[in-house]
Amino acid sequence: MIDKTAAIDNLVGIEPAVVLSHGPTKILLDKYLWHSPDAGIVASYTPTERDVKDHFGIFRGVDQIEAFAQATIVSCGAFTESRKLNCSFAELKQIFIPVFIGIGPVKFHSYLETGDTFISIGQIVIYKFRQMVCNGRIYKAPEGLDLDAYFSAFNKERLTAYDLSNDFVLVAELQDVTGRALKREVLKQ
Amino acid sequence: MERQQIIDGLVDILKTIRTVDQSKLAGINEGTDFIADLNTPSTEMINIAAKAEQKFKVEFDDDDIDGLGSKVKDFVDLIIKAKARA
Repeated sequence: MIDKTAAIDNLVGIEPAVVLSHGPTKILLDKYLWHSPDAGIVASYTPTERDVKDHFGIFRGVDQIEAFAQATIVSCGAFTESRKLNCSFAELKQIFIPVFIGIGPVKFHSYLETGDTFISIGQIVIYKFRQMVCNGRIYKAPEGLDLDAYFSAFNKERLTAYDLSNDFVLVAELQDVTGRALKREVLKQ
Repeated sequence: MERQQIIDGLVDILKTIRTVDQSKLAGINEGTDFIADLNTPSTEMINIAAKAEQKFKVEFDDDDIDGLGSKVKDFVDLIIKAKARA
């Protein structure tokens, strides 16, 4: 249990369910691999049988976008806001609901099947008035790669350059993914 | 600061935002709606607010933006309110 995010430097090692407001059947995020609060994040997910059910074994593009949004604008926004308010993620969830409000161009280059582990790599463009914009990419990770070890040496320069080894396969490019934390009472109006 | 001066300043800001319909900037008044009349994407409203902070040397609270409407009048009122509490 994290009482205050001021006690942690970043999201690595935190369970996504602690950060996200989504319930277990809607979380498309397994692990935070690297996070720099003022720059961006890398997080992973492996689609399950349930995720691809009725979709010929393929993880849908729309779910890729949702997974990317959860990993980037929602998680990074929650971290930044909880720090600003000096509160826990649980307290933050009582006050705000994350709202997905916009997305720019998306290009799909490849696809993901059940059991394929992918990473969302997101760069923070702006965070203002509880609204975050991220650009980024989704890559299929090489099978069997120890992602924790691999990203332990990651840094902002490599994030900006999408500097990954050649065995990562580009799956999607996403621009202007935008989300905002709205107060629960505002959302009800 | 007169309300018309603020509107003029807002128009200057809107000229720098490519997603705003530039052909409609000439007739802007307090009743103009950024979204309905100028085709401004709703995600752009935060950008406009951020630029207004710089332009008018004011600071908005997050809660100000939560309750902000999409008409020019709403921005003018907010800027005057923020200046008054500065």
